[in-house]
Amino acid sequence: MVLARRASRLALLLLLLGILPAAPSSAGPRLTHEYDLKAAFLFHFAQFVQWPPEALPEKNTPLTIGILGEDPFGKSLDEIVANESVGGHKLLVRRFQRLNQADSCHILFISSSEKGRMDEVLSRVNRRSILTVGETKDFAQRSGIIGFVVAEKRLRLAVNLAAANVARLRISSKLLRQSEIVGPLRLQE
Amino acid sequence: MDLHRNTRSGSAPQGGPGPVRHGAPGLVLAFLLLAHVPASAQTEQAVEPAKALKQLSLEELFDLEVTSVSQKPEPVSKTAAAVHVVTSDDIRRTGALSIPEALRYVPGVEVARVDSRSYAITARGFNGTTANKLLVLIDGRSVYTPLYSGVFWDAQDAFMEDIEQIEVIRGPGATVWGANAVNGVINVISKSAANTQGFLVTGGAGNMERGFAGARYGGALGPRAFFRVYAKAFDRGPSKLPNGQDAGDASRMHQGGLRADWTPTTADGVTVQGDFYGSGIDRRSAGPTDISGGNGLARWTRAFSGHSSLQLQGYYDRTKREIPSTLNEALDTYDLTLNHHLAPAARHDVVWGLGFRLTDDDVRNSSALLAFLPPRLTQRLYTGFVQDEIALEADRLYLTMGSKVEHNSYTGFEYQPSLRLAWMPKPEQTLWAAASRAVRAPSRIDRDFFVPAQPPYFLVGDSTFQSEVLYAYELGYKSRPLTDLTASISTFYNVYDKLRSLEAGPPFFLANGLNGRTYGVEAEGIYQVSRMWRLSAGYTFLRLILDVEPPSTDVGGQSQEDDSPRHQAYGRSSLTLPHNLSLDAAVRYVGELPNQRVPSYAALDARVAWQPAKTGEIAVVGQGLLDSRHPEFGKPAARREVGRSIYGKATLWF
Repeated sequence: MVLARRASRLALLLLLLGILPAAPSSAGPRLTHEYDLKAAFLFHFAQFVQWPPEALPEKNTPLTIGILGEDPFGKSLDEIVANESVGGHKLLVRRFQRLNQADSCHILFISSSEKGRMDEVLSRVNRRSILTVGETKDFAQRSGIIGFVVAEKRLRLAVNLAAANVARLRISSKLLRQSEIVGPLRLQE
Repeated sequence: MDLHRNTRSGSAPQGGPGPVRHGAPGLVLAFLLLAHVPASAQTEQAVEPAKALKQLSLEELFDLEVTSVSQKPEPVSKTAAAVHVVTSDDIRRTGALSIPEALRYVPGVEVARVDSRSYAITARGFNGTTANKLLVLIDGRSVYTPLYSGVFWDAQDAFMEDIEQIEVIRGPGATVWGANAVNGVINVISKSAANTQGFLVTGGAGNMERGFAGARYGGALGPRAFFRVYAKAFDRGPSKLPNGQDAGDASRMHQGGLRADWTPTTADGVTVQGDFYGSGIDRRSAGPTDISGGNGLARWTRAFSGHSSLQLQGYYDRTKREIPSTLNEALDTYDLTLNHHLAPAARHDVVWGLGFRLTDDDVRNSSALLAFLPPRLTQRLYTGFVQDEIALEADRLYLTMGSKVEHNSYTGFEYQPSLRLAWMPKPEQTLWAAASRAVRAPSRIDRDFFVPAQPPYFLVGDSTFQSEVLYAYELGYKSRPLTDLTASISTFYNVYDKLRSLEAGPPFFLANGLNGRTYGVEAEGIYQVSRMWRLSAGYTFLRLILDVEPPSTDVGGQSQEDDSPRHQAYGRSSLTLPHNLSLDAAVRYVGELPNQRVPSYAALDARVAWQPAKTGEIAVVGQGLLDSRHPEFGKPAARREVGRSIYGKATLWF
């Protein structure tokens, strides 16, 4: 009886020390919160997209990630971007309510709260070198550049290459390889 | 008029009383009870902190599971048509090994297995082994045969793992899709080569599926060019005669192909693909039916902006069918299409296109039984279409109008207009209505068909046979009343004119002597009960009324009224269990076909799969589990029945 209790205590101790593998966490997939993951992707986009030189004229021009409309990220985007820079350009997060404030950013996340005027927003920014990112239905099909799509519990990217081309942005093949190409350059119809 | 096999061989005595059905309600109940376990078992896992995420590679990020899907309900589809999409996940989870089997759980579609390899497939009525009101495209290539305006399903195969989705549009799609899109369009779309990188090897065996194997390899030709090659083969067992005897229609098939996708610039996309295949289907009476063929397709897309693009596509397809002592057919198809998408003004989204198709059909009449005269026929089809989607009110009200004009070698000019309206009173609701006209142009069976091959004839085609005409009126509603529930209902009222009749003889002859009406309701719902459990259900009601138009003396065509089931229903459960297990079960009911004396039946399909590692999966699939066998199509004298099928399958990818 005593022995059994000791054995179970030992097992508990080993478990706490991480020596004995805890079955559930090793069996299942790694989990994340949806908006933490989306924030991490916004950070990665800064690395995998090349802007034309005139969009980042000076070495000390910050690379700005803008959020238009309601911010779904909470603190996570600020946490991820804090003290980071890409190619010498410091990363900066800004939040906008009005569209004309957003003209100077490099990545623009257009919140679902702007759904009602998505076409208007996109037609205004789509000739600037702004990587538009959204999560509303058919965002990339409707000439946004990168759409977040949650399918099978995983985050997938829909990329409108034609829209990226108009914005003079080059998206790394490393990112494209894992994305679905949509819009007029969708590879099959 | 069964061109799939020699009808003379099908005179088997009818069996005793109908097949015995072993009910399995206990099994269904067990699935339902099991489903309650996992929903709560998954909530304890640790979640990656936001800051740690930026250290991960892209590959690792793509592999993370998100704990909660966006709370905001996505708007439902605003398409003003009855559309159902079979996803690659649906194909995998139903265990479908062929395209027809993947269409079993689509509302409004009739899938009847005729024998080991043939299917009768249609939407909204008029089913048959030579069903002629459905357009089927595989990656933009029409698989239509001008012999009877239908599809030889035994010649169509694909590497199932590489199918991205199958879009099924019920109702006329003739404005954009053209000839033959009368009652529906089935569009099989394969994945881009960029999305099928690496090795995938699959294989398995069972009682009906005696053995099957396939392999695919995808690689990169450069940073913007990808390719894949694949090969597959199967050996399928025979169906049964009604008396339980082996019907002698075992078969083998092999197929291979490649696809390359290249984006030379950010504005251009080029796809080149091709397949070849060969198959032998045994027959009891004579040598096996031999099917072979191949195709090559090239497509170039150029984008001018987010709203404007141009697409040019060309393909060549050759298919051969040799049915010893019945007929030998070789068909060559050359097809060229140009599509232009543009937004000429605010609120307007226009698509227009031009197309040319040349078919060269050569039927060597190798028997005294039947003949197509002239044996060889070259036909040219010219098409042009324009369609404008007008946003009367953005995100609220859309009007789509357009027409196709085509010129075919038999009847000359045909026009196929449509008018569609979609209204979204709320983002999660779409109410739509449509009115369209579509035609089914004559096929060789209508015009050039003679039985027997020499006079005196018993049956002759009609050298003046006209196009069958459909006026279709549709009304539908799609809704997402709850975040996890989507539902849709589609109704239609179709008015047909100049349908094919069989006029009294001798000789019997074909004519446009029937008119008719069909109406029906198709409903479906998908409910995501929990992250682990998804339920879906569908119901189809269909009624056909055909009338003989004087002076017709129809003696056969009108019986098509009873070639389609009046009621069809299905329910599906897809369950993801702990320990990388998944469990799928589906029940379907198909009403009787009075004209064929095929009784109604219910079938249970189930699949259990285990994914022990991220690179492999083992599955056991059972199809038609409720009875040892049942008929799905065909009059008793020529009928085949397909038995319960159980197979195991292993898949590895790396």
